[in-house]
Amino acid sequence: MEGVPWGERILLFRWALLAALVASAICPLVGSFLLLRRTSFYGITLPLFATLGVVLGFTLLPWWIGHVGLGGLSVEAALSDSHAAMNYHFAWAAALTFAGLGALVALGRRGGTETGRVAAAFAIANASTILLGRLSPLGKGFVDELLQGEILGVGVHEFEMLAVLLGVVLVLFVVFHRELLLVSFDREAALVLGVRATALEALLHGITGLCVAAGTMIVGPTLLFGLLVLPPLAARRWARSMTSFLVLSGAFGLLSALGGILAAFQWDLPLGAAIVGTAALLLVPGLLRPGAGA
Amino acid sequence: MPPLLRLTQACFGYGGKPVVRDVDLEIQPGQFLGIVGPNGGGKSTLFKGCLGLIAPLAGRVERFTRRLGYVPQREHLDSIYPLRVDEVVHMGAYGRLRGWRGLSTEDRRLAQECLERVGLAARARAQFSALSGGQRQRVLIARALMARPELLLLDEPTSGVDRGAQQQILELLLDLNRRERIAVLLVSHQLQMVREAVGEVLWVGGGRVQRGEASTLLDPAHLDRQYGSETADARTLED
Repeated sequence: MEGVPWGERILLFRWALLAALVASAICPLVGSFLLLRRTSFYGITLPLFATLGVVLGFTLLPWWIGHVGLGGLSVEAALSDSHAAMNYHFAWAAALTFAGLGALVALGRRGGTETGRVAAAFAIANASTILLGRLSPLGKGFVDELLQGEILGVGVHEFEMLAVLLGVVLVLFVVFHRELLLVSFDREAALVLGVRATALEALLHGITGLCVAAGTMIVGPTLLFGLLVLPPLAARRWARSMTSFLVLSGAFGLLSALGGILAAFQWDLPLGAAIVGTAALLLVPGLLRPGAGA
Repeated sequence: MPPLLRLTQACFGYGGKPVVRDVDLEIQPGQFLGIVGPNGGGKSTLFKGCLGLIAPLAGRVERFTRRLGYVPQREHLDSIYPLRVDEVVHMGAYGRLRGWRGLSTEDRRLAQECLERVGLAARARAQFSALSGGQRQRVLIARALMARPELLLLDEPTSGVDRGAQQQILELLLDLNRRERIAVLLVSHQLQMVREAVGEVLWVGGGRVQRGEASTLLDPAHLDRQYGSETADARTLED
């Protein structure tokens, strides 16, 4: 990339940059609730389930096209950039994310330690992704790029899908954030006040699953891990109210994206990993600051 | 006058196993009742049954008002939430929110009034987690008042706070009860405090509920005669 003017680079990778900015502003909002509910490990484990879904989708692709069909596409065409192939992979990513989330929630109701459950789920999803990827080399390049956090290949179709899905996440979040806060902070009080706690918890899981499935599919688990965990952690150190916490989470996410884009272009780094690195640097001032924090 | 809450032969428990049985109870407007008893005797189970947080295994629970104010044990609330005092109080109106709309001007004014009633209007912008135990308890009472309650239900409101704060909380509850005729039902393991503040109590122990005058039912000699070692646990805790 050396020698290519910045303006041309931005134009060339505009969809990837826009995807990074959108994800960086919205995913930390979901991550802020994961942090407050002390379920941040979900933010690390669920993207692996989504990745497993994408790999499973590639593994089953020849069978699927032979028996079910995918809008008349051949296997070769389905591996290229097309809406039908993207929807197919997103469906698998979403199915596995929600299956993983559902299993974690259901097992959580039966007692035991949450850390152990989530750690076991992480190990299983990670190993399954590697094994399935080895068994089916189809789409290996795509999955490798996802895992490394290289998102510069994101095109207009992927950006549109990410913007629509995270747009839905943002709208649901804005409309219901107060009720979600009450249910998370004091579930019994919510029930007494007539707030439908179970429905709202299901909505929160739905928002999380949608964000994770869309994010993993388009910008990859590396970037998603970082965006769900690091900006809310940094924001918690500075926030003096719930509103400022949410605003700061989104702002730290955006700052991470801007810093990461600059670093990636300057030193030719994978964009996703560079954004996560910047998010980690933004933690430092808060950690050095005495006082409250997560 | 119709009661606010009526339990008829109600039985509450978990996993199909009853913890308290055959409870007949009516709470009238303006009453001040305490729920006391030994640890593990079923106080919390009965309290949750009255709140509607657990369904009765048998019998009937009828609530004749929707204006319930609930004050949880503050230790159950996680301090990781970066909430300001006014944000906690505003939560009391979240049951009335519809769609996009936030709190109404009326609800914001009411929140200010509720904070004034508990003596914490000046701390509205303070961090909830930075307040003392007694102050946090009063903030939670202010939040419960946002429901304009006819019946206020409190879970161990004076537990873990110093004597001065205990006194402030009790005076506040007595004032709300006398001036505004808000009925109060509180769970406590502090027998002496309940004996001094509350007219009537429900003694919950061994799966049964007995109702009577606090001065009679919580008289140490009576307790020893009636329950022997069962009360030792409860009385030790208050010291």
